[in-house]
Amino acid sequence: MKSREQEYRELFMAEALEAYDAMSQHMSVLEKRPEDEAALNEVFRLLHNLKANARAMGHDAIGEVAHRMETIFGQIRSKERPFAGSMVPVLFSGIDVLGGMIRAVGANQELTENVPLIENLDRVIEGEEPVLVDDESGTEEDATRKLELSDLVYIPIKKLDHLLNLVGELIIDRDRVLTLAQEIGDTTLQSVTAHLSRLADDLQYSVMDARLVGVGTLFNKFPRVVRDVATAEQKQVELTISGQDIQIDRNILQIITDSLLHLVRNAIGHGIETPGERVKAGKPEIGQLTLSAQTDRDNVLIRISDDGRGVDVERVRRKAVERGLLSRDAASRLNETEVHNLLFEAGFSTAEQVTEISGRGVGLDVVKLAIDSLGGQLRVDSRLGQGTTFTLVLPTSIAVKGALLFELDGHPYALPLMHTDSVVSLQPEKLHVVGGTLLAKVLTENIPVVRLADLLADNDDALPLANRAALVGAQDIIITNYNGRKLGLIVDRFLRQQDIVIKPVSQPLDMIDLFGGVTLLGSGQVCLVLDVPAITRLFLSRRP
Amino acid sequence: MPESQAAADKKTSKPDVPVQLIVFRLAGEEYGIRIEQVKEVTLTPEIARMPKTPRFVKGIANLRGDIIAIIDLEERFRLRTANNEPVTGVTYTMAIEAKDYTIGIIVREVPQPLSLSAASIEKAPEFIQDLNINDKYIEGIARVENRIIIVLDMLKLLTPEEIMQLRPKATSSAAAERR
Repeated sequence: MKSREQEYRELFMAEALEAYDAMSQHMSVLEKRPEDEAALNEVFRLLHNLKANARAMGHDAIGEVAHRMETIFGQIRSKERPFAGSMVPVLFSGIDVLGGMIRAVGANQELTENVPLIENLDRVIEGEEPVLVDDESGTEEDATRKLELSDLVYIPIKKLDHLLNLVGELIIDRDRVLTLAQEIGDTTLQSVTAHLSRLADDLQYSVMDARLVGVGTLFNKFPRVVRDVATAEQKQVELTISGQDIQIDRNILQIITDSLLHLVRNAIGHGIETPGERVKAGKPEIGQLTLSAQTDRDNVLIRISDDGRGVDVERVRRKAVERGLLSRDAASRLNETEVHNLLFEAGFSTAEQVTEISGRGVGLDVVKLAIDSLGGQLRVDSRLGQGTTFTLVLPTSIAVKGALLFELDGHPYALPLMHTDSVVSLQPEKLHVVGGTLLAKVLTENIPVVRLADLLADNDDALPLANRAALVGAQDIIITNYNGRKLGLIVDRFLRQQDIVIKPVSQPLDMIDLFGGVTLLGSGQVCLVLDVPAITRLFLSRRP
Repeated sequence: MPESQAAADKKTSKPDVPVQLIVFRLAGEEYGIRIEQVKEVTLTPEIARMPKTPRFVKGIANLRGDIIAIIDLEERFRLRTANNEPVTGVTYTMAIEAKDYTIGIIVREVPQPLSLSAASIEKAPEFIQDLNINDKYIEGIARVENRIIIVLDMLKLLTPEEIMQLRPKATSSAAAERR
């Protein structure tokens, strides 16, 4: 693996060389049509970016030249002077010098300031006549100059998607071949398949790696967003960003873009108070907003934290009852976390009044759905008067997911580990029947338990009343967790943990939302992947 | 399929247009599908039952890397009777090209191709409407020597609405059908 620094340098080189090529081209256009506004604007923009990038990378010599040329093009653009006369050769040599310096960076050479050029540029800026030395040498160099191609290529994400799909298929076939080789028992075949297997693994990780981008590519758009929203809301907000270097699949970043925007807008609009209110509450006038990313095992955690007014638990409870989501009694029994999770319920958040009162809630269910679609989790922590933190738990890659495999009715099923809380094996006497539902005490929690076979039965009526006598022997139970709601699923048998490649269910069966997709096992068997959010919803709607 | 419909209507005017059918048996009767709609015929791969689907949807299977739904037309048309056991043992699956997807149809015996003239396909008579096989799925009835072959219009039969039985009270009627 390359170091981050080297990667940045390569990126700089690629962009700088491209800018140089483009500028040379636009300069030739300007030579013929000095009035061409599009070319003028482009050169100005490219110089500006080059200056910023070069300075950020510490190549000040490039920055100095680019800065002066930008100034001159600024004057031409604002029609203070025409692109004509003695400035033209100076600008051309400026572009050439920039090209030389960029190549020097690529070759790891020290950059030296080109003093005569800088003096000439300064003269042009001041409206003085530049001192032109014999121009011949310049053209000479031009004629012998080598043509270069960038070391980086831009790839449309679609092509990478296709590559990833192919790799997914390959991994499935690899597992198949491995299983077959084991069954046949030929040692040569086994060693070849072992090698094939390693290659396939390498290929998979290379393709996944090629799709990774820094979270910073998204985070860096937020200072502007925060400034605009804060201005519109007449609030003072200081944004702190950290973890820009954390790598994540580009498509995942794409899918969460709107969610993040939403959460940040909410935090400023409804979380952080006006300066007046803050002073009254004994807080500093300027509200703090933090956007951070960090890795946690195979996941990426993205947090949006504010030090605003927080979620008013009592008001959320009251609203939930008013909206008919819960009975007054049930609402009063929820603990704080469970109340916070109500914010993500569809039908709760659309209510206008809620946002005014609790300060939270517009479209949080939409955010939740987006995160669900990635197989991720969304959590909220909030303290009244102290602030709110939203945590997005996201997979690093879309393609491969850790899953728990189990058997039901003779068929294998998979359940994503992201939504698996724990796995227990309990004797029937450890389960209790409360209100027709089985309850298991796991650690300190009482968790509803249901036979998955009952839940997946074809009718949609209420579940049969739980009957403990029907359970014989130790019960394998998978405790799932969705939106803080735990549910135990009784399955026939645990199989194993495995990384799986999920394929979408084909039409027309994709209408059934209980399954997030299918995967093919090494044995060639088709394995349905359960969608925990849908299973949880199904349980809630069919609970006796 | 307006053209084939037209062809069936004008049975006397164009007697020589040949039609290729794939013929298979359901509950002892012969049925046919136009050959262009059949992608391939294979031994039925292992099927994983998919919960919450109508009973005649046997499940999903892996057909050369594509995951497709497999359906049983005997159950779909309610042709299963007491002396007509559920499909077991070696069976075959015809992969049918529907509008946006491929669907497998499970049959007991190897389906056979049959060439006949378009003229021999007649429009289905009225009384068929009373049967379980709604006439809208039937393109026509072919008479070849002593055989009667019911020609199905697969595109109509394999729409998502048909397969998922999406009708008012779909779940309750599907559940009733099973009992």
